[in-house]
Amino acid sequence: MKDTTEATAFDVNSWIRQEQMPHFLCPGCGHGIALRALVWALHEQGIDKDKLAVVSGIGCSGRLSAYIDANTFHTTHGRPLTFATGLKLARPDLSVVVITGDGDCLAIGGNHLIHAARRNLDITCLMLNNEIYGMTGGQVSPTTAEGRYTSTTPQGNTEPGFDACALAAAAGAGFVGREVTMQVLGLRDLIGQAIAHKGFSFVEVLSDCTEIYGRKNDLGASPEMMLAKKSEMRPFAYRNTVDVPFRPNHLRTGVIARSERPEYGAAYRAMAAGLRGEGGDA
Amino acid sequence: MMGEKMNRTMNVLIVGVGGQGVIMVSKVLAQLCQADGHDVKQSEVHGMAKRGGGVFSHVRFGPKVWSPTIPEGEVDILVALEWAEGLRWLKHLKPDTGTFIADCQKIVPPFACRNRKRGAEPAYAPQTPEEIIEQVHAGYVMDATGMAANLGNARASNTVLLGALSTVLDFPEEAWIEIIASTVPAKSAEINRAAFAEGRAWAMGGDKRIDVTAGGLHKAHSEIHHPQVDTILEITEEWCKGCDICVKMCPERCLRLNDRLKAELALPDLCTGCQLCAWLCPDQAISVTNIPVTEPAE
Repeated sequence: MKDTTEATAFDVNSWIRQEQMPHFLCPGCGHGIALRALVWALHEQGIDKDKLAVVSGIGCSGRLSAYIDANTFHTTHGRPLTFATGLKLARPDLSVVVITGDGDCLAIGGNHLIHAARRNLDITCLMLNNEIYGMTGGQVSPTTAEGRYTSTTPQGNTEPGFDACALAAAAGAGFVGREVTMQVLGLRDLIGQAIAHKGFSFVEVLSDCTEIYGRKNDLGASPEMMLAKKSEMRPFAYRNTVDVPFRPNHLRTGVIARSERPEYGAAYRAMAAGLRGEGGDA
Repeated sequence: MMGEKMNRTMNVLIVGVGGQGVIMVSKVLAQLCQADGHDVKQSEVHGMAKRGGGVFSHVRFGPKVWSPTIPEGEVDILVALEWAEGLRWLKHLKPDTGTFIADCQKIVPPFACRNRKRGAEPAYAPQTPEEIIEQVHAGYVMDATGMAANLGNARASNTVLLGALSTVLDFPEEAWIEIIASTVPAKSAEINRAAFAEGRAWAMGGDKRIDVTAGGLHKAHSEIHHPQVDTILEITEEWCKGCDICVKMCPERCLRLNDRLKAELALPDLCTGCQLCAWLCPDQAISVTNIPVTEPAE
């Protein structure tokens, strides 16, 4: 963790499009905190704004790219990873960050997620999981927990929620992490590691939908929701050292999986160079 | 003014951005016309524009209304809850007799910021209220959001515009107030009554009026002096949405929400400059800067 003086040097306003503010998010939406953590991590990694591309899909999370003062790309529903793959293959010099939501990434874009993870192209995917389709009126999403009420599950959700980190790790992502929005500094450092990792990095941010999900399920206002989520989390580093008798529903946070599989872009470029007759083993 | 008009259909078009209350305005108007014995048809587009997209609603009333939508160039009164949305629909207004009622509040959409150069103007409608008001037969451009905010809740801006609309249509004031009271939730009945009166009083001042207050961000600035560090805490009021996170999360409990539901530093002496409020603010409204003091204060 950085000391206070260095943390002070970061000014979020230098990364935010001032004329766009205040943003469109509801009061207390965790996506706003994730936005700060993301730009803070980008700042700390020393990423040049002109060498950064932020790609986002559709949904509450998809709108976040409009507030980041960099090259931003608001794409179609479920396909930000697809657009980002093309972008990264064409412009390997860019740092590509994808902002996506749980519905965007796991429902309509589920296939794109597993194939992006399989290719292991150097993209950072930030999945903001608020457990609901907030923008379209609070429908059930793939990560909605069992028993929760949404506008399409008026009797409570009977389907089990998705473990996105397990999915990404199984599909071959090079870096998989999870963090709650309450832990801003931890989230910042996790996103920083994900950006620095050469390969497909997947970070699940457990965000809060206060206005729709929280209200429908009587979870209290945003401070209560954040504290509840924090009390459920259990840093992955302690997985073997601490038995948690009082926390049966713990969430694993921190770096969850890491592998040093070869990054896809290098293989692609070697093939392309071979076809052009510029060497390689074609 | 309504006597000779009422032999034919009156067309009112209400436009705005999702979440502003376009549907509420049209609902009030339609119910009022219905109660007055007119034939009313109302149609709207909403749904995917739940938050941030364009919303419009057609209200037609008269002895007999056949079609639910208004042809282009046939709108008698255009009520715009957002400035650019009003301009977008301006060509639907009757060129010679139409009335234009608009809030000068700007909601800049994301695609208006394609030019990323620092300090670049967003590609938002460049027309000024003065230019537009010269083009229309009768025009009212008001800072309805500002008026509603002064009354205590900016979300009542649609009722301020209803107040202005009420001066153009020939319905008794009591009927308007009664319908509004039955439409809005009971807890906001009082502010809506005040907002309606404010808008009506403003519009009584005559047509072709412009009332635009200057924009700009208000930053509540506080300085706290510690033995080795000076802390500067700034809260951008326009960005704060009153979510209560900073108030509840502050370890010293030195923040609070004021009567306008904006965060403010209530107990500056307790602030330690820990920055937790700034880190957890989803709206990026709080900034905490710690400046080390070179010489310890006496």
